[in-house]
Amino acid sequence: MSPFNIRPDQLAQEMQDYGRKLGKGVQNLMNAGEIDAGVTPREVVYQEDQLTLYRYKAEGSAASNPVPMLIVYALVNRPYMTDIQEDRSTIRNLLAHGQDVYLIDWGYPDSSDHALSMDDYINGYIDRCVDVIRKKHRLEKINLLGICQGGSFSLCYTSMHQDKVKNLVTMVTPVDFKTADNMLSAWVQQMDIDLLVDTLGNIPGEMLNWTFLSLKPFSLTGQKYLGMVDVLQDEDKLKNFLRMEKWIFDSPDQAGETFRQFIKDFYQRNGFLEGGVKIGERALDLKNISCPLLNVYAEQDHLVPPDASRALNGRTSSKDYTELSFPGGHIGIYVSGRAQKQVTPAISNWLDERS
Amino acid sequence: MSESPFWNDDWMRTQQKYWEQWNDMSRKAMGMQHPPRSPMESALDHWWQAISGGAPEATRGTMEKMLQQGKMFFRLGEEMSANLQQTRDWSDAVNQTLEKIQEGVAAGAEQSAEASEKGFSQWMGLWEGPIESWRKAAGQLPLNSDFAGTPNLLEQVLGMPGLGFSREDEERYKELGQSWLHYQHALARYQHFFADLGSSSVRCMKSKVKDLVDSDQKIGSGRALYDLWVAACEEEYAKHTLTPAYAEIYGELVNSLMAFKKQWRELTDQRLGLMGMPTTREVRTLQTRLQESRREVRAMRSELEQLKEQVAQLRTPQGPPAARKKVAGKKPGAKKAASKKVAKKKAVRRKDSSQ
Repeated sequence: MSPFNIRPDQLAQEMQDYGRKLGKGVQNLMNAGEIDAGVTPREVVYQEDQLTLYRYKAEGSAASNPVPMLIVYALVNRPYMTDIQEDRSTIRNLLAHGQDVYLIDWGYPDSSDHALSMDDYINGYIDRCVDVIRKKHRLEKINLLGICQGGSFSLCYTSMHQDKVKNLVTMVTPVDFKTADNMLSAWVQQMDIDLLVDTLGNIPGEMLNWTFLSLKPFSLTGQKYLGMVDVLQDEDKLKNFLRMEKWIFDSPDQAGETFRQFIKDFYQRNGFLEGGVKIGERALDLKNISCPLLNVYAEQDHLVPPDASRALNGRTSSKDYTELSFPGGHIGIYVSGRAQKQVTPAISNWLDERS
Repeated sequence: MSESPFWNDDWMRTQQKYWEQWNDMSRKAMGMQHPPRSPMESALDHWWQAISGGAPEATRGTMEKMLQQGKMFFRLGEEMSANLQQTRDWSDAVNQTLEKIQEGVAAGAEQSAEASEKGFSQWMGLWEGPIESWRKAAGQLPLNSDFAGTPNLLEQVLGMPGLGFSREDEERYKELGQSWLHYQHALARYQHFFADLGSSSVRCMKSKVKDLVDSDQKIGSGRALYDLWVAACEEEYAKHTLTPAYAEIYGELVNSLMAFKKQWRELTDQRLGLMGMPTTREVRTLQTRLQESRREVRAMRSELEQLKEQVAQLRTPQGPPAARKKVAGKKPGAKKAASKKVAKKKAVRRKDSSQ
């Protein structure tokens, strides 16, 4: 029996349909205009170098949770992923659930920032942002939510500044950088990171982008564009697609010295598990973390495999550790409709119970 | 009657009629006199040429990606249908189609860039992804030179003996040439890896088709055929790129490119130095010193803020208000620590400069 059940006229029709959709849809694409992203009103609270600290404005009543939350995003790509569009905004949803949300936008580091170290980011920028919020709210401690690499930074920060963090939420955060299914980790093991950073200074966003697309090259650089033809007719869906496209390719360069330490100490030496990491002059020890901890991971995460995140369990001194698993991917955990219904309310409830 | 569903002249007639109409329209639009050679791909190309001038720059790349994938999709359908018509046996047709893909992959890895365009790249819209992405990423890295376009110069340089006044210079150029050759060797290994991977993907695809037969499932559309091929490629890619062998190949690729670029930059720096121009090395040193100064300024500013607060408290006759006890800011020891940190950094710098 042939496994092919495609009539020739059907195949011809399929190809005709493709051409027709492309022909009709191209007008929508041409008229798409400026692709906006980042939808929730916000105010600038603090600025330093390339960094901007934003506070998001809730619609209607003030935040019901008296303890504000600071979102620490990764240095990779841009943080508007968390506020990409009205019906898919983690930030908007957190506000709607009564959280007072702050976010650090790292900006676009240029060559003058190449000497920024992890110490500068964690004990410098993050610490100053935390102090700004603490002072503004007259609080000793605030809530911290770290995303991906920002989650690793948040773990580092909390381990060194536990007295300033009331609750810590980590989302799709790598802790064990050497799980068997971690492609990124496998690829960098033989790379001479010192040579790379000494040669390039900052690590170009294009190079990082290429690396991430290389994780699933056939789906991410090919197949999805075939699928895009199906959404060309629908202006809203097309804009959603283009917003994601804009975000994916909006890749800031990464400060060379920070990249050097992050890859060597964590991807190559697995520092959270193996120890021996120093951030500035302080030794890193996850056991210094004693606050309540919510660890959120995505079951189909191709960038940070679930086991890489779950490794946090039992490695801190926290007596209040919770895991939340989401049936989706690394990006879907922020932008999917299901995430808006499941993940964001769960985070908010967890924080409310502990604030 | 063959069991092949493709064995039907209607298929070719329908296909031909549609594309003739489209081609005719696009030829008229462009003032072309001669019919294009390949109906499907040419039609898409002509159509795109006719409209791309009006497409905004921002959306042009996306459109081109859709076209490329569309052509790949068409190609797969065309090739499969042609083979099915020739053999009248679906399993032979599948084998022939996949073998042609396999040949294309092998040709791409073995042949020159020009031949690669005809064989590898043209046939294997999917498999050119990772390699093409690498080329783009490598090309976008800073210091990308046109050294690659001067193979004769390279051979001459490597063949020259280092003598007399310019001996040192010549040695440096020789080392640069050797670095370039090393990179070319690493790139060839990388391409070979993908050629092998292409072959195993073809085997995986055959296995997937067989699984469909065994489970009495059908491929019901050209798109489903394409998706199955993508799934086979991703599966094999993930399996092979997680191996230590790939980590070694990938590491060598990146390291050899960086070594070449670093040498190139050093030579450029040398020339710039002779002309009295600032060099990358000097600029990097200045940036590093600037970052040290930023840290010191921040530490002193923080110290100043605390001193101001203490002075303000001393000036209040009733003493500090209750809230002030809990006001956010540095811990009492922070001032001392900040001063100590600045002093230590200065000491380190003095030590560096004395070396």
